[in-house]
Amino acid sequence: MDMYTKAAWIVPLLPLAAFLVLTALGRGSRRAGAVFGSLFSLAALVLSLLIVAERLEPDAVDYSYAFDWIRAGDFTLRIGFEVTNLTAMMLAVVTLVSFLVNVYSAGYMKNDERITVYYGYVSLFTFSMLGLVLSDNLLSLYIFWELVGVCSFLLVGFWYAKPKAKAAAKKAFIVTRIGDAGLLIGIMLLFWYMPDHALDFTTIQSVFDGQSGAITTGITTLIALCIFLGAVGKSGQFPLHVWLPDAMEGPTPISALIHAATMVAAGVFLIARTYDIFQDSAAAMETVAYVGGFTALFAATIALVQQDIKRILAYSTVSQLGYMIMALGLGSLTGGIFHLFTHAFFKALLFLGAGSIIHAVHTQNIKEMGGLGTRMKLTAWTFAIGALALSGIPPFSGFWSKDLILTAAYESNPLLFFVGLAAAFCTALYMTRLFILVFMGKPGAASAAAHEAPRSMTVPLVALAVPAAIAGFVETPWNGWFGSWLSGHQEPAHGSAAAIIASIAVSVLGLYVGWLVYGRRSIGRITLAERSPWLYKLLERGYFVDELYAAAVVKPIKLAGQLLILFDEFIVGGLVRAAGAATSSAGRLAARLQNGQTQTYGLAAVIGLVILVAALVGRRFLP
Amino acid sequence: MSVLNEIPVLSLILWSPLVGLLVILLMPKQRSGWMKTAAIVTTLVPLAFSLWLYAGYDKQQGGDAFEERLSWVQVPLSKEFQSGVTEFVFRLDYTLGVDGISLPLVLLTALVTAMAALAAYHVKKRWKSFFAWFLLLEAGMLGVFLARDIFLFFVFFEVTLVAMYFLIGIWGYYNRERAANQFLLYNGLGSAIMLLAFVLLVNTAGFRVEQAGEQISYIYSGSYGDILRNMTDPAAWVNAVPDQLRPANPFYMSDTMRWTLFIMLLAAFGIKLPVFPFHTWMLKVHTEAPPAVVMIHSGVLLKMGAYGLIRFGFGLFPEQAKAWAAVLAALGVINLLYGALLAFRQQEFKLVLAYSSISHMGIVLLGLAAFNELGLQGALFQLVSHGLISALLFLIVGSLYERTGTTELPLLGGLARSMPFMGGVLLAAGLASLGLPGLSGFVGEFLSLLGLFESMRWLTALAVLGIILTAVYVLRAVLKITFGRQQEKHTALKDARLIEAVPMIVLLAFIVLLGCYPSLLTDTVQLGAEGLFEQLLATRAGG
Amino acid sequence: MLPSYLTLAAILFCIGLYGALVKRNAVIVLLSLELMLNAVNLNLVAFSKYGVVPSLTGQIFSLFTITVAAAEAAIGVAILIALFRLRGTVKIDEFDEMRR
Repeated sequence: MDMYTKAAWIVPLLPLAAFLVLTALGRGSRRAGAVFGSLFSLAALVLSLLIVAERLEPDAVDYSYAFDWIRAGDFTLRIGFEVTNLTAMMLAVVTLVSFLVNVYSAGYMKNDERITVYYGYVSLFTFSMLGLVLSDNLLSLYIFWELVGVCSFLLVGFWYAKPKAKAAAKKAFIVTRIGDAGLLIGIMLLFWYMPDHALDFTTIQSVFDGQSGAITTGITTLIALCIFLGAVGKSGQFPLHVWLPDAMEGPTPISALIHAATMVAAGVFLIARTYDIFQDSAAAMETVAYVGGFTALFAATIALVQQDIKRILAYSTVSQLGYMIMALGLGSLTGGIFHLFTHAFFKALLFLGAGSIIHAVHTQNIKEMGGLGTRMKLTAWTFAIGALALSGIPPFSGFWSKDLILTAAYESNPLLFFVGLAAAFCTALYMTRLFILVFMGKPGAASAAAHEAPRSMTVPLVALAVPAAIAGFVETPWNGWFGSWLSGHQEPAHGSAAAIIASIAVSVLGLYVGWLVYGRRSIGRITLAERSPWLYKLLERGYFVDELYAAAVVKPIKLAGQLLILFDEFIVGGLVRAAGAATSSAGRLAARLQNGQTQTYGLAAVIGLVILVAALVGRRFLP
Repeated sequence: MSVLNEIPVLSLILWSPLVGLLVILLMPKQRSGWMKTAAIVTTLVPLAFSLWLYAGYDKQQGGDAFEERLSWVQVPLSKEFQSGVTEFVFRLDYTLGVDGISLPLVLLTALVTAMAALAAYHVKKRWKSFFAWFLLLEAGMLGVFLARDIFLFFVFFEVTLVAMYFLIGIWGYYNRERAANQFLLYNGLGSAIMLLAFVLLVNTAGFRVEQAGEQISYIYSGSYGDILRNMTDPAAWVNAVPDQLRPANPFYMSDTMRWTLFIMLLAAFGIKLPVFPFHTWMLKVHTEAPPAVVMIHSGVLLKMGAYGLIRFGFGLFPEQAKAWAAVLAALGVINLLYGALLAFRQQEFKLVLAYSSISHMGIVLLGLAAFNELGLQGALFQLVSHGLISALLFLIVGSLYERTGTTELPLLGGLARSMPFMGGVLLAAGLASLGLPGLSGFVGEFLSLLGLFESMRWLTALAVLGIILTAVYVLRAVLKITFGRQQEKHTALKDARLIEAVPMIVLLAFIVLLGCYPSLLTDTVQLGAEGLFEQLLATRAGG
Repeated sequence: MLPSYLTLAAILFCIGLYGALVKRNAVIVLLSLELMLNAVNLNLVAFSKYGVVPSLTGQIFSLFTITVAAAEAAIGVAILIALFRLRGTVKIDEFDEMRR
């Protein structure tokens, strides 16, 4: 009955095989990339779907397998995989998006000379992401966590000759690494506090059951916050969100795969995986909720004024991830994961749509676009579905998941409920702005020669539009199936009429205001920029967080490095030189005696002899 | 396996480079090709043997293995010491042996040297003497790890110094002679301190009584086994506090004495490691020595410092080491952060790598200071892993310099375009260096920090900060070279030739192998060094 | 009798030592060296006659010394002549080639 579940370890190995094959082939064969990448990810997708099908059986039990990785005396570090309903769902999402992106890239990257390398990286990423999802303990999760990070780095910097891409790749790696350091400390704390130094999720679940009290609340909070720091880095939460908008320098399919659907959601996944730890600490839960809520609103306001289509979507991703994190912080595991699930589809769809647009108009500035709706019908329609889903308009998928989160907030934290509503309003507003500026109105400077993308790119769009539209029905206010399936026990369907009405109202309001401003133009478009230029500037530059970091972190470190160079050169090196100089001057002094006069030497010898004899003889006379 | 026990395999490993040396000495002076081939073939012999040895080492039995012992020098001493003694001698033995600690390092030495021999085709002059010193250096390094007698250890240690001195001084870059002198001065100082400590050790603990029937022999020797036994056995004279019964025990090692010896050994090996602030010499060596030699220097010679520290400092004086764990850890963190911050601001790639070596050796100290199996494993793993990674990095530096004529970061850029293979390998090596999981650097780092976390939380957290900095400086340097716009004059550069690609691939393969399957190393270390570990950990429980 | 011989030898030796260390003329220095050697010879012969255990060995040794002294003088004078030809002087303080 669990034949496929037991074979789950094969899923990540398929893209790994693709990576190895492509690396061995090198740059030689241009078509091999698309063929191998797509075929292997298709195989992975099929296997994942089979696993999900198995997991849908009501009596499916979790399956895990692990082996010793490092043995050090009494300590053993293990690596293994575990299939639960959550991981099965993630498997399906990752493989589906990965497969579609593989297909899409065949068209998008067709003219790139390093397409084989590109496919190799994508396969490596898919392998790492699947490994992350399947990990049965925190250590192996951390290993894959870093690997996805490095793949993201490689792909963001794929066009390495561009200085901006290089800077963005470096930034992505280093900023997420700050979060990773937190996660690492969290793992170490867990390792030393857990009974038997176990790091696997099953044991974690049983230790942090809220009553055993094996670990004090203070330490639990500390562990939870350290793990959360990892999630903050990976999922682009404030204050470590700065890398994600810059990461848009990478190829657009990568933005869809890594920076929208899968890797950035890994932080949410991580919290969900270790949810029992968080639930044991009220302080940690609150922190998570407020960071998430703040990020949701914060990023949404920035997205309002951006001009680069990908940056708008990137800030939107940050904002939506904030939603998920907030849901988790509010105690709604289902809400967070459900939103992750729907967001993966509609955001990947939006990014791929944006890719299709960029492919057609060769610019990312929405001011230069316009009127593309008539020229790229398919892209426009699918993009519209994605935008409606993101804006939270029923019955598209985003509405149901966002509604679940808002309901959770409504029930427990009014402040965050209003924050969530405000963010939802902004979301609807900026998506309307984006859609109208790109697809409607007069053709812009760049859209003259635009044409619909090739088949390989439009088919994935359609394929993603379907779940983006309907995936929300797995969990509705009157049907708690998804939550029950995830948690493994019957969960009541949540539904609060007030929350639903408020949610729909703000989304529609956002849509309407957007239409007023950008569509009907009954409100001046440039009002904000003119009335309060400082506010506009503040939003456009993302609240100057980058500049703040440059001044508060980068500069001091550079300065410290510079000071230490001087220290190394003059203090440490100076001491060495002083010691050397002292020795050689002593030598020079002694060399004076070497005057070449044999008679002087002889005299010195005689004097020495006399002293020696005097000493020997004189000793007798001493008492 | 049985065959291994029947042949003197350690001696074969140790002396085979010298046989190659003789062969090369007999070759005509101009035949550089012959000599290069001979040198490469010669280095493959100890590599093959040590691979065989590694595979054949009986992990279950563990401990010292393949021991060989020959009497080397014997000096009769006055018999008046005690009546009834038939023989009272000072003896230097030729004793070789391996255990879980030295075995991986022997293999590392053989591997890195073989790869460096391949890389040595950059050498442009005086091939004969180059390869003579080179092979002598290899024999010296192997001897250091194989020797089980402290005087033998010392002799081989000195051989490496002399060989390195000439290798730097003759075949180095512009400031080579200065670098060579500084190298010799610092390391000579270290050796002098070491020799003094060894003499003191032999005088007190290097004592053995053999009784065969009527014959009673009192033997002074530098045998490591004897010294270790005397130091650890509570009934030995070394540990017998002078009292009424034995008013004069010339062998008693007081606490002061132990501390003096421990600090001397720490200083001696700390210079080699190098520990801040004794690091300036190795910056010069890294920048001035020829690439093949730096591969060995950074890959193996620095490890001799750590090896000596583990074998002598920790092995013989566990209590002192334990008491100073916090000091060691603090030194480790200083090394880690200091190296990282300085590496971040360097404009010369070789200096970046030099400071990064300092930083990575800090992790070794952290692992040692942890005083648990995890930390010790981590420290040893880090030794091997850093040996491989830095050898790989300097291999690339050599190839890079040959093509571009510079390793100044501002003058480089975008080389991934003309040299995709080398750019890729450089990137992989950089990622290994910054501790990416799946590559060997991560395991050593992770185990060391995990071990240290047990006793020193805040220091570990500080060290984790260093890991972020590592990412910063590695990426800065590597991306500066491979990413970005390419310089006009570098567009025509050729990618790696086969003779360069082979060592790169081999080293990278080992890095990946150890990163994915660390048990290959950790099991050998764990079981092969169980005795040492147990002894150290017993100290932990007791004190 | 022995003390008188030893005293004489000591005086001779001291004169020789003084000459060897102080005189600037290399010929005189050589002669002073001979003086010191002869002082030693005197001692050897004196001890062989009046020593605690008189034996012929001392006298034989003095013969050896004389031989060696002759050889030494020959080589010394030869070097001196060579130096004189080269430098035109035999003043010993000008021969400081070995300075530092």
